[in-house]
Amino acid sequence: MNDQQIIALWESGQRERAFNEIVRNYSERLYWHVRRFVCSHEDADDLVQEIFIKIWGALPTFRGDAQLFTWLYRIATNETLNFLRKQKVRASLRFQSLDDELERKIDEDPYFNGTEAQRLLSKAILKLPDKQRVVFSLRYYEDMKYEDIAEITGTSVGALKASYHIAYEKLKAEFQDLV
Amino acid sequence: MNEKQFHTVPEGYFEGLQARLSAIPQQQETVTRWVRFRPYLAMAAAFAAMVVGGTALLRQTAQPASGLTYDDLMGYAQLIPTTNPYMIYDEEYMGEEEAYTEEDIINYLIETGVSLELVAYEANR
Repeated sequence: MNDQQIIALWESGQRERAFNEIVRNYSERLYWHVRRFVCSHEDADDLVQEIFIKIWGALPTFRGDAQLFTWLYRIATNETLNFLRKQKVRASLRFQSLDDELERKIDEDPYFNGTEAQRLLSKAILKLPDKQRVVFSLRYYEDMKYEDIAEITGTSVGALKASYHIAYEKLKAEFQDLV
Repeated sequence: MNEKQFHTVPEGYFEGLQARLSAIPQQQETVTRWVRFRPYLAMAAAFAAMVVGGTALLRQTAQPASGLTYDDLMGYAQLIPTTNPYMIYDEEYMGEEEAYTEEDIINYLIETGVSLELVAYEANR
């Protein structure tokens, strides 16, 4: 079922069915989107649950002028960045750095099955500012169009292209230092 | 899995995740119902607290200051003459002791079998 059909289902009053279709179409995609940011399966699992509770609560406010999938990604991205901000505060209260904690999670992740270069890339991405990280993640990992990323982040396409370029250059430099 | 995907998940994870996420509407309905009824429940609890507190307060203040029990009060009530209840306010009547004559005392002693010496002693006292 595509997004238009899901929206029609929602508008016809079959709300639970519409929500279940969203779960069917997007739970896995949003899980991976979140997982790249939080670097842990357990955190991603908890956060996806929270995100879908938010989606269910916010669905009555969804207006058809936006695309359903960009709306869902916007909620997921905002929730993930909020989660990381809270984690950052918690880490600072323990006199630790969130980046160090995330790097440790990448090193100790039992579900990692990539190469060492991919592990280094994951760590290098952690050092990007939030916005560049979001753009890079959506563009590089999900091959998303700039127009869609612009809807998700509320930024112009031109600014996003610039952000992606800067992120790419930073990662290239970081990677060269690491390798 | 594409080349950019270098993480795995536990086996059967996404099936379980979908089942959990699909249960959100029912769970949230329960939460919403609870939230909707919470003000009414709070009002009912406040009312019950007022009733219990008020009853306790009334019981406290309705008890006699002297600390007499219900049974004590009933006992005193039985002493009140029913023919003339206002008699209880007559201090002279309530305080009046029955007057006995010397002869009454001697007759009482003789009837109860007290020795003659004692009766004589009482009579000459």
